[in-house]
Amino acid sequence: MRVGSGDLAAFERSAPLLPELPAQDLTLPGVEILQATFELSGPRVESLFPPGLHPTLPVLAVFAFWRASDGPLGAFALAQLRLSCRSGARPRQLLVASFASGERAREALNARFGFGARAAQVELARFYDRAEARVALDGRTLLSVHAGAPLPLGTSDLQFFSSIHPARTPKGLRLVQVDTDYALTRAERGRPVLDAFDAAGFGTPDVRPSYPVAAVVALGDVTLPRVRFVLRPDVLAFEGTEVVG
Amino acid sequence: MRFGIFYELSVPRPFAVGVERRVYENALEQVRLADELGFDTVWAVEHHFLEEYSHCSAPELFLTACAMQTKRIRVGHGAVVCVPAMNHPIRVAERAAVLDILSGGRLELGTARSSTWSELGGFEIDPDTTKQTWDEYVRALPRMWTEERTSWQGTCFTMPERAVLPKPLQKPHPPLWVTVTTPGTELDAAERGIGCLGVAAASYAEQERRTREYHRRIQSCTPVGAVNENVATLNFLYCHEDQATAARTGLGMLGQFGLANAHLLFTREAYPTRAYGSLANLAPGPGRRESSPADASGVPEGMAIGDPAHIVRAIKEWESIGVDGVNFLLNAMEIIPQEQVLASLRLFAREVMPAFASGRGR
Repeated sequence: MRVGSGDLAAFERSAPLLPELPAQDLTLPGVEILQATFELSGPRVESLFPPGLHPTLPVLAVFAFWRASDGPLGAFALAQLRLSCRSGARPRQLLVASFASGERAREALNARFGFGARAAQVELARFYDRAEARVALDGRTLLSVHAGAPLPLGTSDLQFFSSIHPARTPKGLRLVQVDTDYALTRAERGRPVLDAFDAAGFGTPDVRPSYPVAAVVALGDVTLPRVRFVLRPDVLAFEGTEVVG
Repeated sequence: MRFGIFYELSVPRPFAVGVERRVYENALEQVRLADELGFDTVWAVEHHFLEEYSHCSAPELFLTACAMQTKRIRVGHGAVVCVPAMNHPIRVAERAAVLDILSGGRLELGTARSSTWSELGGFEIDPDTTKQTWDEYVRALPRMWTEERTSWQGTCFTMPERAVLPKPLQKPHPPLWVTVTTPGTELDAAERGIGCLGVAAASYAEQERRTREYHRRIQSCTPVGAVNENVATLNFLYCHEDQATAARTGLGMLGQFGLANAHLLFTREAYPTRAYGSLANLAPGPGRRESSPADASGVPEGMAIGDPAHIVRAIKEWESIGVDGVNFLLNAMEIIPQEQVLASLRLFAREVMPAFASGRGR
């Protein structure tokens, strides 16, 4: 099996502090969702993952956007970059970069889940013939992506996977698993187009999206549940999974 | 009951020079022995790009080697991927006919549509279209084999009138199968009058339901060619005189295979589509189902891992629910030494095969 070869010290340096793991669910109603998926290429793919994870073949880079108009955190937009992998035998996505607009929501998500979202201008717009999203920082576009020609699908045709991200917890550096639940009322698939991506500006200089796979445009309630598992990043999941609570 | 052996040709890392050759040579030695012992069929998959899991991208060549080194065992494409970007239907018909001739009429032709994004994406195939192209292939192939000249006007390919040559040795043509991964494919098989080549783990109860429905539906099928009313399932084989030793070794193989299988990038994980309803493939489910409360070995329900008596009981159960054949994976990632694989085959032939009627040489 392929395993990650990333530098644990580097993961620790960039990992956000999470003094307390979330013990309660957070439900965000009526979230507009765009996920644009691309295959990664390049010789350093394994180095993007800690040794406790297995990169998939090929690795998928998933640019995920949420836009909430109201709800417990108010109006906000969130952009995340996740990479497909396996934790033991389970499909997961490693969160490697996060940006949010809406300061109250950004602070709340960082404090409760340790997403480490940076403040930025995050936009998501859905039109009849396309959905488009953008991340900009200080007027500079870091990411611009759109999904063309959305085709209606059943909501059960989409599959979402738990994300995991490094955080400095009271137990030390851990991968925090977030089993996000999606209750969708609308689902579409489109063709993803990466209009701009500043990998260095995004904080992921070795991430090279190369081949477009699919884009998902959806609407529904999103629930971030309490964290049930954390994993040691240095050993495989069979040995390094820890139950929370 | 027919017994087959089934090859993914998994190759463990590191991919040092000679590792793939050793895997192929070990497999060929097993096939020669299986032929001598009275196994009925050797099946080989078609997979592309699946590092470690399967390095069997040209099964027709492997099966040709099998046919040339054996006398009686049938050779099964398990299965040809029926999408034009991988295999043009005319080439499928031609290659199958040549293999049927070279093997002396021993070909079984499985058909499939691939289930991983790694493969479909690698050939830039739209997953939404593969069911349709498969359907067209299974209707076109028997005509190419049996008609002197054939023309075809379809949606995935067209051809003006030509003689597709050579014609297969078996008349009217080699038996056709479809691999069954996604629940419901058994109904597609029944409606077309082709055999069910199970490649996904199913419980006794689930397999019984599928088999019953298959046999019911095939009675009113619109056959695409000669009807092949057979249901075969996939299994894992490790037979040893001592149950505990068998369980320890066999479960190691099962674990290796299951992990490699779980690491495949199945289509729906990458590409949302209604055309692929299942993430599952060959591996038994994550929940370990024991054969009975008294069986503490941890061997999942129905697996042919154990001493001969245990395996006879498991296969009798499959037989009782209408399964016509069981195909066995013998190893995974070469985790079981070759001599032990050969010993397991010999013990199975000596102690298990005689308990079952029919099949070749029994």
